[in-house]
Amino acid sequence: MSPTIFYSLSIVLVVFSLLVVLCKNPLHSALFLALAMIDLAFIFFELKAPFIAAVQLMVYAGAVMVMFVMVLMLFDLKEDEESAFSGNPVINVFKFLSAGLLCWAISSKLFSYGDVAGLGAGKEFDIKALGTTLYTKYIFAFEALGLLLLLIAVGAVALSRTKGGTHDS
Amino acid sequence: MGADIFEISINIIKILVIFLLMVQIVPLLVWVERRGSAFIQNRFGPNRVGPLGLTQLLADAVKFLFKEEFVPSKGKKFLFYAAPVIALVPGALAFASIPLSAPILVDAFEMFGKSWGPYRFAFQGFEMGVGIVFVLGISSLGAYALLMAGWASNNKYSMYGALRACAQMISYELALGLALVGILLIYGTFDFAEMVAYQEGPLSFFFMGKEVIVPFLPNWGIFYQPLGAVLLFCAMFAETNRTPFDLPEAEAELVAGYHTEYGGLKMLMFYIGEYGHMLVASALMATFYFGGYNLPFISTEAVNAFFAGFGFSATKASIVTAFALHVVLFTKILLFLWVFIWVRWTLPRFRYDQLMDLGWKTMLPWALANTIITAALVLLMRTEWL
Amino acid sequence: MIASTITLHHCLFLSILIFSIGAFGVLVRKNIIVILMGIELMLNAVNLSFVSFGYFNSSLDGQLMSFFVMTVAAAEAGVGLALAVTVFKKFKKIDIKLFETLRD
Repeated sequence: MSPTIFYSLSIVLVVFSLLVVLCKNPLHSALFLALAMIDLAFIFFELKAPFIAAVQLMVYAGAVMVMFVMVLMLFDLKEDEESAFSGNPVINVFKFLSAGLLCWAISSKLFSYGDVAGLGAGKEFDIKALGTTLYTKYIFAFEALGLLLLLIAVGAVALSRTKGGTHDS
Repeated sequence: MGADIFEISINIIKILVIFLLMVQIVPLLVWVERRGSAFIQNRFGPNRVGPLGLTQLLADAVKFLFKEEFVPSKGKKFLFYAAPVIALVPGALAFASIPLSAPILVDAFEMFGKSWGPYRFAFQGFEMGVGIVFVLGISSLGAYALLMAGWASNNKYSMYGALRACAQMISYELALGLALVGILLIYGTFDFAEMVAYQEGPLSFFFMGKEVIVPFLPNWGIFYQPLGAVLLFCAMFAETNRTPFDLPEAEAELVAGYHTEYGGLKMLMFYIGEYGHMLVASALMATFYFGGYNLPFISTEAVNAFFAGFGFSATKASIVTAFALHVVLFTKILLFLWVFIWVRWTLPRFRYDQLMDLGWKTMLPWALANTIITAALVLLMRTEWL
Repeated sequence: MIASTITLHHCLFLSILIFSIGAFGVLVRKNIIVILMGIELMLNAVNLSFVSFGYFNSSLDGQLMSFFVMTVAAAEAGVGLALAVTVFKKFKKIDIKLFETLRD
């Protein structure tokens, strides 16, 4: 992975993530988050995980974020732009500081461990190996995920059900 | 790395040409759409400007270019301008990752006093191991353009069009993805070039672990996966927002849906995006189910040998082969594009609940059943029983 | 200081940065949906760390873990949005404070 590509992609990613948090209009936040996810997909691609990159594009950028944007449009919020942030500014400064503290705490721990250089370490796997591992080593997790998704589908329908629905019968 | 100037410049030219190919097919398709609709509805269609009305396109282009630019008041200006541009991106990127012909092999040669090594140029924008997953991922981004257009227009009709478009695209993406699983199980690869290579020669499959050859049928995916092909084609119609799935722009109810407020060149860009989607859909159909760029029964090597028989050098024969096979693929693509147009002027539009029922209650279960049956059959057929 | 090669620490630091930004978003915003977006951002950061661990150790497990995380994140987004829709239907607002009323 070339440093130029990595640095440019990461700067863009950080800027978009900040904009997600700081934009007052929730719709703009959602669009910036979609951009950030597309950017992250390219980072995955550079990390020799093309399948994960494509799934990231399809699931996150294509499905989840479209759903977010759609729900936001359905709500059509007008008054929310003035009071996007909770609490008063002083408390928010403390929140920012605590997030910074979190970042500093984890990263200071991180740099006390040994580093691994990128050259030669990155091995490209084909998708067959990925599938084989998924269906042998992680088969239990895979089944559990299937169950979870079923539960979620039922739960989401039960939560947002309306009497009558869109159909006549 | 190891790429030199020649290779880099060829790659840049390739990407430009593929984008232009997508943009340039639009006027042709608009003409076919107008004349075709007139033919289907027993009218004349545009026939005054030029022979067969062919230069009507030029008049249209001039009209599109000189229309007034405007942004709706209280609309979101940036998003309003960004939406048509974004509408172009998914189609172009997806089209660039589909192989349009056999790769060109260039032998080592001398130019400008330097020797340039042997090259292999794929006839596609970029080669990707995960081809089809990438195409699905990219084309699912198409919903953003519609959503942004609908939101930025500050118009209720646009908004409803955008919401409909989005719900439709998300619903049909499931059926689309599942319809593909069957054919992927048979080919055992995500790579388009390998899929095309699989479909060479006469129909041959394994039955109880023994190879069976049917000499009078080509080895095309449609004979393995007829149901998958039909489901995929229907889902593609929904993804491209064409009739009978053109609820997002239902002109009787919603004026023009998400592009109500757009005019001139911005409108044209939405058109190009839509036709680009159609082009990608047709190319995918041809690649998955109809042998890609190969002629039936004739392998790429045979075509290459045929052209080498004219006394061409290896490089020239490879280039001529690539262009000949490109024509073959485009013939298939144009046939599918004609089906798109034909259906548009034949079938009426669905009602919204019918659309959702078709997607979730009909196509999804059928696609699921297709997947399961294919998986079982592939396992049964390829195992040695005796 | 710009290193000539990208190491594991670079990727992990990027991941930590994104995670912190997401956490800040969760703390500071009022809109339920933006809070969900912050959570998505944090999950994405975790994905990045998994994939980079996998890349630098030449192992597939990282990619598979991020695959699982993606599935769980999609599920979480589905339920979160359904909850948001329910709250919006009742109060015509999507403020995180309205979740207090859910216990009644």
